[in-house]
Amino acid sequence: MKVPMQWIKSYTAIPMDADAFQDAMIMHGTGVEGVEDQTKNVRNVVVGKILTVIPHANSDHMVICQVDVGEQEPVQIVTGAPNVHEGDEVPVALVGAELPGGIKIKKGKLRGVDSYGMCCSGPELGVPEYLYPSVGDKGLLVFHEDYTPGTDVCSILGIDDQIIDFEILANRPDCLSVWGVAREAAVTVGTSFEKPDITFKTVPGKMSDYVRIEVKDTDLCPRYVGRIVRNVKIGPSPMWLRKALFGAGVRSINNIVDITNYVMLETGHPMHAFDLDKVKNGHIIVRRAFSNETITTLDGKERALSPDMLMIADETSATGIAGVMGGEESEITEGTHTVLFEAAAFDRANIRITTRALGLRTEASGRFERGVCAATCREAADRACQLVDLLDAGEIIDDVFDCYPNPRPQVRIEASVERINRKIGMDISGEEMKDILTRLEMQVELNGDVLTVVPPVYREDVENEADLSEEVLRIHGYEYIGSTLLRGETAPGSRNANMRVTDRVGRFLASKGFYEIRNFSFISPKSIEKLNLDQEDPRCRLMTLRNPLGEDTSVMRTTLIPSMLGTVSLNQNRNNDRAMLYEIAPVFDEFNRKTGELPQEISTLSIGAYGEGVDFFLVRDVVQDLLNSFGIETMIIRGKENYLHPGRTAFLTANGERIAVIGELHPDVAKSFEITKRTVVAEINLRMVCALEKEVSHVKPLPKFPAVTRDLALVMAEKTMVGTVLEVIRSTGKPILSDVQVFDIYRGAPMMPGTKSVAFSLQFRNPDRTLSDEDVNPVMQTIMEACKNSCNAVLRL
Amino acid sequence: MEMQEELRIIQKEAAGELEKISDKPGLEEIRLRILGKKGQLTQMLRSMGKLPPEERPKAGQMINAVRQKLTEQMDELEVKLRRREQERALEREVIDITEPRAHTLYGSKHPLSLVEDKLISIFTSMGFDVVEGPEVELDLFNFELLNIPKNHPARDAQDTFYIEDNIVLRTQTSGVQAHTMLERKPPIRIICPGRVYRADEVDATHSPVFHQMEGLVIDKDVTMADLKGTLDIFAKSLFGEDVTTRFRPSFFPFTEPSAEVDLTCMACHGKGCRVCKGTGWIEVLGAGMVNPKVLEMCGIDSSVYGGFAFGLGIERIAMLHYGITDMRLLYEGDVRFLSQFRED
Repeated sequence: MKVPMQWIKSYTAIPMDADAFQDAMIMHGTGVEGVEDQTKNVRNVVVGKILTVIPHANSDHMVICQVDVGEQEPVQIVTGAPNVHEGDEVPVALVGAELPGGIKIKKGKLRGVDSYGMCCSGPELGVPEYLYPSVGDKGLLVFHEDYTPGTDVCSILGIDDQIIDFEILANRPDCLSVWGVAREAAVTVGTSFEKPDITFKTVPGKMSDYVRIEVKDTDLCPRYVGRIVRNVKIGPSPMWLRKALFGAGVRSINNIVDITNYVMLETGHPMHAFDLDKVKNGHIIVRRAFSNETITTLDGKERALSPDMLMIADETSATGIAGVMGGEESEITEGTHTVLFEAAAFDRANIRITTRALGLRTEASGRFERGVCAATCREAADRACQLVDLLDAGEIIDDVFDCYPNPRPQVRIEASVERINRKIGMDISGEEMKDILTRLEMQVELNGDVLTVVPPVYREDVENEADLSEEVLRIHGYEYIGSTLLRGETAPGSRNANMRVTDRVGRFLASKGFYEIRNFSFISPKSIEKLNLDQEDPRCRLMTLRNPLGEDTSVMRTTLIPSMLGTVSLNQNRNNDRAMLYEIAPVFDEFNRKTGELPQEISTLSIGAYGEGVDFFLVRDVVQDLLNSFGIETMIIRGKENYLHPGRTAFLTANGERIAVIGELHPDVAKSFEITKRTVVAEINLRMVCALEKEVSHVKPLPKFPAVTRDLALVMAEKTMVGTVLEVIRSTGKPILSDVQVFDIYRGAPMMPGTKSVAFSLQFRNPDRTLSDEDVNPVMQTIMEACKNSCNAVLRL
Repeated sequence: MEMQEELRIIQKEAAGELEKISDKPGLEEIRLRILGKKGQLTQMLRSMGKLPPEERPKAGQMINAVRQKLTEQMDELEVKLRRREQERALEREVIDITEPRAHTLYGSKHPLSLVEDKLISIFTSMGFDVVEGPEVELDLFNFELLNIPKNHPARDAQDTFYIEDNIVLRTQTSGVQAHTMLERKPPIRIICPGRVYRADEVDATHSPVFHQMEGLVIDKDVTMADLKGTLDIFAKSLFGEDVTTRFRPSFFPFTEPSAEVDLTCMACHGKGCRVCKGTGWIEVLGAGMVNPKVLEMCGIDSSVYGGFAFGLGIERIAMLHYGITDMRLLYEGDVRFLSQFRED
């Protein structure tokens, strides 16, 4: 919210510069985004009186002027402006002047003639027509009055102020006003806020002679104040008013409209002015919209209304949306004779619902949403009348319409000085608290430890002791808060189970050379389609955002694979030769979710890797080792995933449940993700890891007797899985087979094509004695027979 | 004394030969020739039978003395030879220790995880438990129990993604406060790191998905000075001893009083620089005393218990800590970026 410093100063003395003021305000609860010093935009621009104008010999549109800029000699300025007249006073940017946009004026030569400065138009000085009416961008700005040449133009043009951009906190709608910040400023800098006495001349009259106002839905319109101005003289506003509006970023229109805007900025009350002659039958009705009612708003759009929206209507139809936007037919024009000022309060939530539903937000609606105080509506309406009187813009009828059936009850808070101090960790006396709160315009009684406080009506945010403690603290000063350590009984803190697993997985994979990535949790539905999953696959049931930023980020992930492939693709596109990546994040189970309930969020690990040395086996071993490191033994089986290579896909199962899938990317899927290098991916269910994790509880004693080792080379068909044979060996070798490893796999001559020779090393051990050949030989025989019978794997001769 | 002379010659010749020996086979050959079963000395011992009995013991002694001497010499030489051989073998195996090998030494966690880990270790050491909450959250927990009713303007600050009317992607980790208060009894000390979501377009300083960490303490007699003390420890542990905190008044619906917390700019140590826009301070977190309304809504007696809460942005801290100026780097996953991080 932009507020001109001079406006604040007209109510509160600020005995410091803008920077110091800004810091003080920030430290006591009113945020400041920045300060704009208007005079820094326009420097060294003065009033110049044009003495002579002669044509430029080498130009058909430029002229050469001698200009009195208050120095001993006039300066020569060449200009191409169309409105250069001897005797006029215009703004002159002297050599060395600065103009908005960082433009610096230097001595120049225009078609052979020296020029020592520039005569300026309004726009060149950042002065719009409505601030200082002249000819706009059609030529030089010509001053309306005579000034001494050489006078700085900033104050004449109303651009000599510092504009403070306040950032008002959500709980302080009362500060969305000049009075609000001026009040805060007074408490902050230790001066006082002088609100103007609101008095003005009136003429006798009756509201009912001019207008009939009916507020039908007082629940949505707690207060409605109307005042009449007759014999209105529409005209331009005076300079001080235009300047104040300009500084606040508001365009000047005419005196009546400007008054409504000025009062809104000053008091925080959005005001509306009706041309009463255009209100049908002089009858204004504040009511809910009818079903199927529509309205054409000022922006020319027809909008469908619903019965939970509040309308300002005449006898036939809605003419405006209460608190949001007025109607076109009753707008103030040059010919307006009688004006009705409206200062009302509307239900915050209702205004919000209306603006959301219509997609229509205005300055007024923004203020009503944040809260406009009903108790001060009358004051705002009166302030508008006072300005009418001051500007001599019409006659104010002494009668007032004021519908305020249920005034907000007075809030009375009992608070304990000791409790407040205990909460904020300070030792502020009751007297000081009383003083601070009193300066905040609260009525305060102090009895021993008890503060009894009645906040001012505009402070609807102050409801309880906690609120008072903040008021006391922020005025006393946050910088005095001490720094102490927590006391009390504590145990050492720790991570929850899932986070412990996440941490361990991360450290394990980092040690294996993998880098962690973080992707968005929402993806494009197209990237799921690219996986070619079966239609009935649960992962195709996607939780969709109602209001995504775009289609690319519109559904919650049911698998981490598409994001991983996106990152792999990015790395390949950037010519990174090798990448080994992992991500840990939840996937969102929409398939099993019921409407109105939350989805299961299943913590999941994804791995993606490509480049030299990366193959299926590398990733498989990493995943198996990872699971083993959690004490989880897995079985590996051939798997099927549509997005993976049909011959290079594995599922790992633990206790019969699938815990991981590992595989090389299917070429079709690689292509659709623009992946060119062979890529291996894996997805692991970390929730299962968490559940199945086993801690090491007992160590086994070391063997007392030596082991017997036998090698076994078996020839088998290529399609026979070594894992299957290993399983057969393990199960038939029980109980004396203590370990079996594959130490060589051989293909090629003299083996038959389509076969391989696999060499196993078997270790036998009995915990109670040394094994002899007589113990081992029969077991070897059984193993070989079993391999032959169930896997057609025969002894290599 | 023919035999004595013979022994002397054998001994002398052996000594000469042994001196020339450079490998083990050579040594073995001599050993065999002199000491072997058919060796010279063995032969001499055997031929002692020809001597008169009275000379035999002496001759035996002499032969054995020579034998022992030679054996010792040869053993010594053997050790020497073996050592020399090993030295040569080791020399043959000299490698160029600077020769590069293609393999990855280590990877790393993501910088956001590294920062999270640091925060977690700082706060767990102060007795905070680490908890998590759902990312897809009920409006009740994300807003209402935090004193942000429906149609409250405070919701504007957080552009929310909706799944259904009452289901949102959490806009803040603060919802975990409510979960925790409803599930645990005071004293409570928790932190909750996690992903949050807001409808912001991606640019150098915004992302629709980002990370926060929430902290909550509920106990008897917890003061705002305790909050400041706790955050001071956090700031010093993370950024160094010369970093302090500055509290500024602020507003959050779920705390009262509330504070915006600045830290001494770590780039300029508070002198004022480009990073802190000349102020010497960097806004890092929001905090405050838990609003009694929130305590009551979450079933905690606000006349007995109070506490504080704080929330900070992990990205912001990571960016300050590592000097990252574009947030997008954190999410695109380029290995050239990721490989610059180390666990410490």
